[in-house]
Amino acid sequence: MIQSLTAIADALPYMLRGALVTIGLVAGAMGLGLVLGVTFAVGQVYGNVYIRSLVKIYVWFFRGVPLLVLLFLFYFGLFSLLEINLSAFTVAVIVLGLITSAYQSQIFRGAILSLPEGQLKAARAIGMSDVKAIIFIVLPQALRLSVPGWSNEYSIVLKDSAVAYALGVTEIMARAHFVASRTYEHLPLYFSAGVLFMIITYLGTKALKILEERVKIPGYS
Amino acid sequence: MLKENPVLRIENITKRYGQKEVLKGASLLVNQGDMKILIGPSGGGKSTFLQCINFLVTPDNGRILLDGKEVNHNSKRELYAYRQKVGMIFQDFNLFDHLTAFGNVQIGLMRVKGMGKEESGERAVSELTRVGLKDHMKKYPAQLSGGQKQRVSIARALAMDPEVMLLDEPTSALDPELITEVLAVIKDLGQNGMTMIMATHQIGFASSWANEMVFMENGVILEAGPPEKILSQADCPRTREFCSSLADLYGDSR
Repeated sequence: MIQSLTAIADALPYMLRGALVTIGLVAGAMGLGLVLGVTFAVGQVYGNVYIRSLVKIYVWFFRGVPLLVLLFLFYFGLFSLLEINLSAFTVAVIVLGLITSAYQSQIFRGAILSLPEGQLKAARAIGMSDVKAIIFIVLPQALRLSVPGWSNEYSIVLKDSAVAYALGVTEIMARAHFVASRTYEHLPLYFSAGVLFMIITYLGTKALKILEERVKIPGYS
Repeated sequence: MLKENPVLRIENITKRYGQKEVLKGASLLVNQGDMKILIGPSGGGKSTFLQCINFLVTPDNGRILLDGKEVNHNSKRELYAYRQKVGMIFQDFNLFDHLTAFGNVQIGLMRVKGMGKEESGERAVSELTRVGLKDHMKKYPAQLSGGQKQRVSIARALAMDPEVMLLDEPTSALDPELITEVLAVIKDLGQNGMTMIMATHQIGFASSWANEMVFMENGVILEAGPPEKILSQADCPRTREFCSSLADLYGDSR
């Protein structure tokens, strides 16, 4: 027992630095996913037939191929073929970001479609262009409605980020494995890794819950 | 003289949705300061006609001239400029739910007219004051009554300095006791010289000061004329039938 606690205490600073890497992975991926996801959602709802099919194919691809396959495909395959030298961390952010953008696009698309159509008409009726109507009328509301779904997606991406271990990104899981294989204290170390993930999940969803309350439209149930 | 210089000349608008011909060549001349009432059964094309007038629905054929100049709706710039001049009020308000009453009026001024925050703010306040909502400016649509929402939407349209207002059954979604406050605002607009085309079933109110009543059914304008004539001695039997049923419903309009 005491031996386990010591193992945790010894590894903790090292593991916490891994937690920062994990947070970096998730923040980067969610940010990339947000920008691309909103763009794709707008394309899928308002775009012409080509744009819509393109987005559909994109979503189909990134939802259909396992994360591990995509990580290897991009890191060892695509980027070395193109002779682009990116760190494992960067590649993991890109791949996680591309995957979550596919899922996020569907969260935003659903939110956009749930808005009453009349508002877009009203925006046009005062002479607003469609682009401005989307930016100033549609998206502010759709993004608010998307926060709960986005929070869910955050917890999924956070846990998926552990797979970046396979590329050698020194996130929580990689560090837990590294220490455990040296000290043979598998149980306490993987347990700590799990707890770290749980804490980050909790803090993130909590923050998003607060955000959800703060951006809520008064009088709107 | 005025008759030869209409603000809005709507010529031969047709619109077809698949097999259904919703508008079969509707024309209308609107002079400065006119108040035209569009009546007719639901599904008769009133709403589509109004939406065609500011191209929210693109007509298949026909043309529209504002101040004698044909509107080219294929040019986006021209279309956006034209829509500012032709305000639209909807049956279900269509307020922007994420903005306060103030924000709803201000956003067009800022994002369409490109006004600054201060100037647009002052204008928004004055428009909301005009419709009697100065004390409710900070409220969101979900916190307003139906009548208040409709008045905000009128203020929003007025802020764009329209030459003509199109009102698509502005009181149909309202509780009876809220109708009066909205009609009062509309009447006030009319008395201040605003040119309007309004689809409505409130013929009692409308006939007292409208200068023309237009009866529309099956995508055709069957008859148009002064309200007294349309309501009591219309030429077309179908118009007479419709008006007498409206009178039964909403009280004697004469």
